[in-house]
Amino acid sequence: MRIPGLTISLAVASLCLVMQAAAQRSEYHVDRAAKNLVTFISDAPIEDFEGSTSKIDGYLAYDGESFTSNSDLYFEVDLRTLDTGIGLRNRHMREDYLHTKKYPYAKFRGKIIAATPSGDKTTVKVSGSMDIHGVKRSMDISGTIRPSGDRLRITTTFDVSLPHHDIEVPQFMFMKIDENMELVLDFTLKNVK
Amino acid sequence: MRFVTVIIVFLITASATVGQDGTSWHRGETEQAPPLQLFHSTHGINLPTAEVLQQGNVEFEVSHRFVPRVSDGSRHLWGFDGPSNIRLALGYAYSDDGYVTLGRSNVQDNLELTVKHQILRWRNETLPVLLAARVGAAWNSDVNDRDAGDARNVQYYAQLIFNTMYADRFALGVVPSYVDNSRITHRDRQYTFVVGLHAQYYVTDVFNVVAEWIPTVSGWRTRHNTVAFGIELETGGHFFKIIASNNELLNTAQLLAGATDSFDNGDLHIGFNITRLLMF
Repeated sequence: MRIPGLTISLAVASLCLVMQAAAQRSEYHVDRAAKNLVTFISDAPIEDFEGSTSKIDGYLAYDGESFTSNSDLYFEVDLRTLDTGIGLRNRHMREDYLHTKKYPYAKFRGKIIAATPSGDKTTVKVSGSMDIHGVKRSMDISGTIRPSGDRLRITTTFDVSLPHHDIEVPQFMFMKIDENMELVLDFTLKNVK
Repeated sequence: MRFVTVIIVFLITASATVGQDGTSWHRGETEQAPPLQLFHSTHGINLPTAEVLQQGNVEFEVSHRFVPRVSDGSRHLWGFDGPSNIRLALGYAYSDDGYVTLGRSNVQDNLELTVKHQILRWRNETLPVLLAARVGAAWNSDVNDRDAGDARNVQYYAQLIFNTMYADRFALGVVPSYVDNSRITHRDRQYTFVVGLHAQYYVTDVFNVVAEWIPTVSGWRTRHNTVAFGIELETGGHFFKIIASNNELLNTAQLLAGATDSFDNGDLHIGFNITRLLMF
């Protein structure tokens, strides 16, 4: 059997291209087995309260070694799993405010637009779109990335405006809570290629 | 022909490396349905619902029933004059499936210890079902002409609680209940078996109307079946109920034995229940 030289050349070239692309593109996924934590903090007139979940998922991808090079990131939080510590309050939050039957996830899609290394961490600025309660809003968020082996630990803190996402601001005894929720994220990504 | 084959192999290989949005990431199978909850609060006016608390939560309750009746007129401010029967209770959730409550009523100083445990959850789009069992014991320590420690002052009760809900608005409860020693002052030991019916319509997220009917099926009954109706306001971790009933009793073994007054004659007592959920 005779294999044409052109066919072999194309096959090798194709393989090289695929391997080269795979080598250049770094891709990390949320390590679902890690101790991930997403916390929101509500400033209420009588008592502050917190809610948290470990159900964050998503990925970060970029070319080569630079976080800013053709970066692409997507993260989502399963809002049905938010736990404030009180079952009734969880129910109110799900059914009356976040309407999680219709909008189960809070989603953020964007890219890293600036990265400043400092010691064992890199401070990054991310620009993208936050999709909560079916309403998308452009957002810039700052955070830090700490590499450790094949893992990246991500930490960030930012505010989300409830009215900006058409979420009714809950009232407690006729006093409204702060319309801005503080979100604190601490989660780990693992390298997949 | 082989050239075409190689091109196809290349395309398949290249495409296999690209998942969602150019990555190989896919959403994990981590979805967990929230707990099935039908009625919003752990009890209606007098009957329990199948709802339970989250582990570690504490539920504080204070309830009043004014002893004068609405039909007593202006002389008793249409039922708002005292005295009143009072119930104080504290519940603690030992797990996400059940909780224990210690409650005290000032009627014969009735102290009750109750456990409610959810035993079945059936998710269904049209008519989901929750089933819970509630058992308890009550000790009446202030009975005329009787020592506090007299064995006849102790009552036991057991309830099965079937709950369902239609269209997220209309909740229905059926609560067959058995009380042992339901008439503690009777010469012979009595029992009471009732089938309580409980309906609640959630008009808005914070306001609903509630009604109960507790007919006695067999055993002792204090003259009349208990009927109650009212409104409930829900805010944060609080529930406020303002009710009217022909039964002015509050603790389980006492109220299930029946009412002294007649609903048909309009002999109603005003009352309220307040519960607050706490977390430590």
